[in-house]
Amino acid sequence: MSDANKKKILIVEDDRALQNALLEMLGQEGYELIPAVDGEEGLAKAASEKPDLILLDIILPKKDGYEVLADIKKNPEIKDIPVLILTNLEEISDVQKAISLGAKTFMVKSDFSLKDVLEKVKENLK
Amino acid sequence: MFSKFLDGFNFIARCKKYKIGLWQCPNFLFLVMGVVTVTAMVGTYIAARRFDDETVTVVSVSLVVAVIFVIGNLIIRGVERIAEADILKSEFISIISHQLCSPLSAIKWNLEIIETEKTPEHALSDKQMLFLDNIKKSNEQMLKLVSDLLDVVRIDQGRTIFVKEKVDLSRVVREVVEGLKHLTDSKKIKVELGIEDNLPLVVADEKKMRVVFDNLIGNAVKFSNDNSKVLVKLENNTNNVKFTVQDWGVGIPRHQHDKIFEKFFRSSNASRYRTEGVGLGLYLVKAILKSFGGEIWFKSEIDKGSTFFFTLPSVKL
Repeated sequence: MSDANKKKILIVEDDRALQNALLEMLGQEGYELIPAVDGEEGLAKAASEKPDLILLDIILPKKDGYEVLADIKKNPEIKDIPVLILTNLEEISDVQKAISLGAKTFMVKSDFSLKDVLEKVKENLK
Repeated sequence: MFSKFLDGFNFIARCKKYKIGLWQCPNFLFLVMGVVTVTAMVGTYIAARRFDDETVTVVSVSLVVAVIFVIGNLIIRGVERIAEADILKSEFISIISHQLCSPLSAIKWNLEIIETEKTPEHALSDKQMLFLDNIKKSNEQMLKLVSDLLDVVRIDQGRTIFVKEKVDLSRVVREVVEGLKHLTDSKKIKVELGIEDNLPLVVADEKKMRVVFDNLIGNAVKFSNDNSKVLVKLENNTNNVKFTVQDWGVGIPRHQHDKIFEKFFRSSNASRYRTEGVGLGLYLVKAILKSFGGEIWFKSEIDKGSTFFFTLPSVKL
């Protein structure tokens, strides 16, 4: 994959240990990665970097994942970027809320291995 | 039976258990109210006979009603306190479990990174891989416990909002049995599968049905003697699918038969064989099956083994 068409992924995750694991795994796969550690940073980077895909946590400092998602969908320039939710909330109501806000998929961290996450990423980058 | 009856009167011990004062404890207050009522009735009777004056009767009756009213109020507050403590406990478990999810997921993912290291010079030795595997298994155990606790809280709060999808139980059973392989192998237990062909689908939550099979088949294996077998069956009844798992292991003592589906219950017989587990498995299994319209029952004899059955309504074609 040449650098020009290297796919860009924004990872919005406040837990450093999880962030590091995601960066390492997706980095090995050759993606260009942009980390963000809170909702505001995530939203700003989504607008400025225009990534091909966004991995978004829900419980985040400054601005939660739902708000970030809603704001992304309001911005015509970035509203079509697929957003994958990666969280530890797992109530049906959380899933419904995220999907109704326009998230592509909903992954519960404790149920997903990194390999499963990678699969979902690949699926949504086609 | 009689000791249980007497136990009901031992309110001081009970109130201590509830961690509330005597004058907030419903059991004690109820007794006081009973004594007051009886005394008042006898008193009114005597007063009415001895005095002709109506005011004495009116005043004493009003007084007694007031006292009963106050005590009744105290009882309600006491019950409220106990109920509130229960709600707080559920919330506490929920918050702690959620907080544990993040670090446990982080451990899982970081282990995965180490495990899947591709560069040969960074590859781990077999010994390191073995210990890494131990960490992974312990971590999985913790994740499972946390997930069980969260489910229990959901059930307790009446939030049993499982996904309802059409599930092929035969596939789930096969996958769960495969997942228990390390356990069956280490105890040299043969799991015999008797799965009928063309089994109808059921409406359930596949993830939760995994929890059900994992517990029922897992228990059968854990409480079996080494080198024995466990029989797992799935049959098509007229309106439902029937699951059976039979073992020839330690069995459940008769006096504990009506307790095994209770929350945090652990059979004394079971604890002799293994110490892990907090007694949530069967409680969860029953609640999950119930929410999909299923039924569960069992028969068991000590030292001869146990058989657990459940049925789930099948999807009409």
